[in-house]
Amino acid sequence: MADVRLDKINKIYPNGFHAVHDLSLELTDGEFLVLVGPSGCGKSTALRMIAGLEEISGGDLYVGDRRVNDVQPRDRDIAMVFQNYALYPQMSVRDNIGFPLRLKKVATDSRLEQVDNAAGILELMEQLDKKPATLSGGQRQRVAMGRAIVRRPSAFLMDEPLSNLDAKLRVQMRAEIASIQRDLGVTTFYVTHDQVEAMTMGDRVAVIKDGYLQQVDDPETLYANPANVFVAAFIGSPSMNLVEGTLTQDGDQWSVELGDQTLRLDESVLANRPALAAHVNERLVVGFRPEDLEDAAVRSDHPADQRLRTTVDVREALGAETLIHFGINAPAVDSGDPDALDELGDSAVARITGRFSPRTQARVGDAIEVAVDCSAMHFFDRSSHLAIT
Amino acid sequence: MTRRTFWGFTIPSVIIMLVLMVVPLVTTIWLSFNELFLRDINNPTWIGFDNYREVLGDEEFWAAVRFTLLFVAVTVPINMIFGLGVALLLDKVGRGRSIYLAALLLPFIVTPVVGTLIYKDLFDRGGLLAWLWEVATDEPFLITSGNVKWLIIVQAIWHVMPFAMITFFAGLQTLPEDRVEAASIDGAGYWRQLWHVTLPHLRVLILFVALISIMDAYRVYDSVFVFAGDRFTDAHTLQVYTVEVAVDPQIGRVGKGNAIGVLNVIGIFVVLIPFLVISYRDQIRERT
Ligand SMILES: Nc1ncnc2c1ncn2[C@@H]1O[C@H](COP(=O)(O)OP(=O)(O)OP(=O)(O)O)[C@@H](O)[C@H]1O
Ligand SMILES: [Mg+2]
Repeated sequence: MADVRLDKINKIYPNGFHAVHDLSLELTDGEFLVLVGPSGCGKSTALRMIAGLEEISGGDLYVGDRRVNDVQPRDRDIAMVFQNYALYPQMSVRDNIGFPLRLKKVATDSRLEQVDNAAGILELMEQLDKKPATLSGGQRQRVAMGRAIVRRPSAFLMDEPLSNLDAKLRVQMRAEIASIQRDLGVTTFYVTHDQVEAMTMGDRVAVIKDGYLQQVDDPETLYANPANVFVAAFIGSPSMNLVEGTLTQDGDQWSVELGDQTLRLDESVLANRPALAAHVNERLVVGFRPEDLEDAAVRSDHPADQRLRTTVDVREALGAETLIHFGINAPAVDSGDPDALDELGDSAVARITGRFSPRTQARVGDAIEVAVDCSAMHFFDRSSHLAIT
Repeated sequence: MTRRTFWGFTIPSVIIMLVLMVVPLVTTIWLSFNELFLRDINNPTWIGFDNYREVLGDEEFWAAVRFTLLFVAVTVPINMIFGLGVALLLDKVGRGRSIYLAALLLPFIVTPVVGTLIYKDLFDRGGLLAWLWEVATDEPFLITSGNVKWLIIVQAIWHVMPFAMITFFAGLQTLPEDRVEAASIDGAGYWRQLWHVTLPHLRVLILFVALISIMDAYRVYDSVFVFAGDRFTDAHTLQVYTVEVAVDPQIGRVGKGNAIGVLNVIGIFVVLIPFLVISYRDQIRERT
């Protein structure tokens, strides 16, 4: 077990494509770090460079104190779990799990014992004599985990290991992988494009976009204090609402104008964001999460000057909550997440999603008032997209 | 499926099988028990096992059996190992793959007789290899009963190797890359990756190529005919021997020829039995 350190790692593919830019990350011993980002942003490339499957074009990679840039994959003391499991089809589950030990010339007795051990942890005892082809997806993924576990490596690398499983199994395996990792205490670098996986599994989460690292933080910080518009939109589901607005000041009364509507900001908002005052009368990107919106009819004590007036476009009752979609007359902001649904229609009207209590009576077409929790609002620079705090 | 649709689908192929395979086979067996000459083709005489007795006592027959088996035993493994090696190398080629591929396939595309003639030219008087030999040893190169067998074998390797190569190459294209990568991380170097990942993936194709190559080599005819002709009867294979006995315009003995044919079929079955058993077992295993 060891630290893994990436120092300004770059990847330029032979065709000239620069897939990873100056990626610096440090995984402390036993840490579970999740690298998350939209499709094609360079996550697998980064992981494969750590594994040694892809050459590192620039920068230094350390496992423990050893620089491993030019070390063969098998000598890096890391284990990898692949998206498609990559099991050896002609071998039984037992032989698959024991394969790395066999290559290390571990004595048969000890090998079988370690395989049994791993199979016990992964609840694969019944399957040991079967061939991979006869296993379910979840079982195959466990075998792949087993093959990684028996090696007792310095680090686990996992590339979207759950993406081939159905939703229910994914939730279950998510918890299982996280708990196994905690028990074994092996440093883990986990790649996914699913932000829910990232938030639930990672000790820390690194968000990457177009090969550039955006932010690394623990899940709570990432959610509460996104460093830029992209992270703000990418983390959280449904996504944070992002619209253009103007910060105005009238005496010590601060407000934000969203199109033809105005929301009053409490003093605490400015107190908590010292840099904000310098941006008065500037057009900014304003963000508020769906969970910070509520049907004003449900929260009737909400101040009248912190409400948006609008009409319900779409209503999705999910049982525990009701999603209400509506528009406001303010320009929408493109977060730069290619996976996000394209904002429909003209961008002068921003589509907003609210996560309301199921007690809301709002129906499609109803004129409603939406209570906005302005203390949780986020502000970003309009051109750099960086958070103003 | 009703009985009617079942027969509707199967009858056409059953008829074709009967006409093209079962009828000739039965005829062959029947003819092998008769004395029948080519010049008097309409008058078979039943003679029981006499043809078989004669063939089995014929030294020429046994010489042909020996050379045929030698030919199979040498050419098939070499073709397969060479073919695999070249396929693995070709798989590593990035640029200009199709050019290499086309060049490697060339011998296989050339008509066998033409290929053999071109190849033979190299060793005839004035041929390139004959000339090189002469330069190197100061003696003229002669095709002799001693070296003709090896010339035939080398020609067969040159000519047939592309079949194994292209088949294995195609197989390599379907090898999932992550499996190789997993093995390389698990600690396997090149040879162990080959042994534990690549070869198991090609297993079915290896069996297939072995099966086809053995049958093909067992029936070798053109190159032997061109090279050995009437001069080196020692280097005759079973096919050449059969044709010699059966269709020589003067002595052509159709009955005896058919007896050899039947023995041929039995022989090839014996050679192929291990492969048939292995592929049968594979099939069964896949289904359980
Ligand atoms: N061998 C290659 N040659 C050139 N470009 C490549 C190569 N492999 C990947 N890329 C490019 O590098 C970028 C990053 O690819 P990568 O596979 O790392 O993405 P990813 O983040 O893992 O995406 P996904 O979530 O879809 O798996 C992509 O734009 C891809 O087109
Ligand atoms: Mg990927």
